[in-house]
Amino acid sequence: MKQKETQKEDNILFVGIDLGTSRSSISASNNTREWVESYVGWPKDFISLQVVGKPVLFGSEALKNRLSLDMCRPLEHGVIKEGIEKSEEAVKEIIKHLIELAKPAPEQKIHAVVGVPADTLKVNKLAIRKAVSEFAHSLMVVSEPFAVAYGMNLLNNALVIDIGAGTTDFCIMHGTIPSEEDQKTILTAGDYIDEQLYSYLTEKYPNSKFNKNMVRQFKEQYSFVRETPGDICVEIPVDGKPVMHDIKNEIKRACESILPAIIETTTEMIARFDPEFQVKIKNNIVLAGGGSLINGIREYLQDALKEYGPCNVRCVEDPLFAGSNGALKLAQDMPTKYWEPL
Amino acid sequence: MLSMIPKKRELRVKETILRGVYEDNLRIIGKQPDTITWKIPFFLKRMFLFFSIALLTILGHGNYLNLTLFPESQMTASPVTQKYYPQSVEPTISPLEYKALLSSHGIPLSRMFGLEVKTIMIDPGHGGSDSGTTGKMGTKEKDITLDIAKRLREQLKKYGHFNVLMTREQDITLPLNQRVELARSSRADLFISIHLNYLPSKPINIIETYYFGPSSDAKTLKLAEQENAGSQYGLSDFKEIIEKIGETLKLQESKGLAASIQKNLFLNSKKQNGNIHNFGIKRAPFVVLLGVDVPAVLAEVSCLSNKEEEIELNTESHRENIARYLKAGILDYLNKGEVSYEAKRDAEGR
Repeated sequence: MKQKETQKEDNILFVGIDLGTSRSSISASNNTREWVESYVGWPKDFISLQVVGKPVLFGSEALKNRLSLDMCRPLEHGVIKEGIEKSEEAVKEIIKHLIELAKPAPEQKIHAVVGVPADTLKVNKLAIRKAVSEFAHSLMVVSEPFAVAYGMNLLNNALVIDIGAGTTDFCIMHGTIPSEEDQKTILTAGDYIDEQLYSYLTEKYPNSKFNKNMVRQFKEQYSFVRETPGDICVEIPVDGKPVMHDIKNEIKRACESILPAIIETTTEMIARFDPEFQVKIKNNIVLAGGGSLINGIREYLQDALKEYGPCNVRCVEDPLFAGSNGALKLAQDMPTKYWEPL
Repeated sequence: MLSMIPKKRELRVKETILRGVYEDNLRIIGKQPDTITWKIPFFLKRMFLFFSIALLTILGHGNYLNLTLFPESQMTASPVTQKYYPQSVEPTISPLEYKALLSSHGIPLSRMFGLEVKTIMIDPGHGGSDSGTTGKMGTKEKDITLDIAKRLREQLKKYGHFNVLMTREQDITLPLNQRVELARSSRADLFISIHLNYLPSKPINIIETYYFGPSSDAKTLKLAEQENAGSQYGLSDFKEIIEKIGETLKLQESKGLAASIQKNLFLNSKKQNGNIHNFGIKRAPFVVLLGVDVPAVLAEVSCLSNKEEEIELNTESHRENIARYLKAGILDYLNKGEVSYEAKRDAEGR
């Protein structure tokens, strides 16, 4: 009997997918871990197709060839724009691409758990189900911070703050699946930092040519809050000539611009619980997502929240895969009987 | 042995969570958790069959064993009649309560009635052959208003709570009466018309928001007083009272919405451009506001005659910001005191 069950399990590939605004990742039960920047590009015309040589391009490859492509960042605001065909098509392509990267064996069934931003409501989850259902035999959709919490075994008295690109998602775990009240999403996240940084830099250097992609790269390379040693200088063309620009203060201002909202939402969410639980939750705050990589953010938040009593903030070890690893763990722990009706 | 207890507890928590995830996903696809096909033992099925037959027998013979299953009055009336015509036709709210309701101008009526905003209609001004105003650089009002409207729609949609519609999504000519009709037919709860100002004689940038309403607030109070002047209202007056409440509600809410949008637009725009002027909220007989039955405002979000502003309006970030300020104004108004962080931050210009 056991042998039969093992055989059955062997024929299933469990995958956990984290559909992010900026990056999407997959973790599979065959130990594959892959990620892609959440950009999809289709050749604009026949000539573009000849140039790029592929009917669809992803991530950095798509960005590199963006002038020849119709580009789409389908989860730009953390949710699929239901009804916009191109966005839905792009999500499908990303899912298909990620599943292909996981290299399922022929005839192998795919049981997938997909993490999506916490604030998505039924209609968005449905849109994601629609996009994934072609490529998976059975599928569950969960919120991203919940997947992170499950993956880290933070099932009780914990708060996960997932600072993504489009949204910052908060999720309080208290021994049960988080309800709507236990989850909150705010729009101050990575993209907001980009917008602020772009406007600060344009204001300071009106003659220099920036674009959003450059600004995002500066952020990813140099982001910090409070203090960081040394100068931050980058090369930006002015009238065609590369010129060094000091952007340290602008990076700091832009990165710190998201913190007041995060602190306020954190305290608001914790305050809803009994004081006894408040202490426990405050000592179990986990930062996830790309935003957790901002230099000094953990210490900044911990110090700021200490005003409300002792607290402990830590960061996930691998922000890129924390969501997909958690989703995979959920998929593997899920009893078979639950997969069947889905 | 003791270390086993926390592990067992953890397992139980895990089981609860996994079942929760499963049930949540069943709901997404429109199934109820109870529809799971559990394996039911055969003897239970037999018992269920026996009781079902017994119950059907009793229901089929109402007086069997001399039991009265339904009161006589209910047995004679059809279920449909019972459903739609309650036994009591007495009014449940007394005229005095109407008086209190209409004179309590401190509290918005929408709140009193627990009314929710579900559908928001955004109206990008002008379009098609009607370009609206045109800036010195050739920027057309109709293009800017459409772009801002689309951005506002995307931003509001992110909240998931609202059905956000637009009167036009392309560069098409749309007469005002059709815009009004669209708002009515889609049962919009809020109507926001986006426009740009033009002041050829003054090189300044201004922001102002209009709403349609009677000439003064005192008139609103008078309206309430008039309706409450009689000590007794009959049922025949009910329709009229409701209509008057509707008018008061539209006025209160339109003014509130206009104030909130104006505040958010001005304070935030001022942060970006110190030379901007606040022309406040105003009443004006715009047809588009008159025709819509629900709270409606017309926001002049910027001024195209100002050259610097025209340059700004041609940048994506500026249009995105205007949409964000409009969104903050709408959310601020909808939250009514329970201001969201975004709205508060934007309003405070932090």
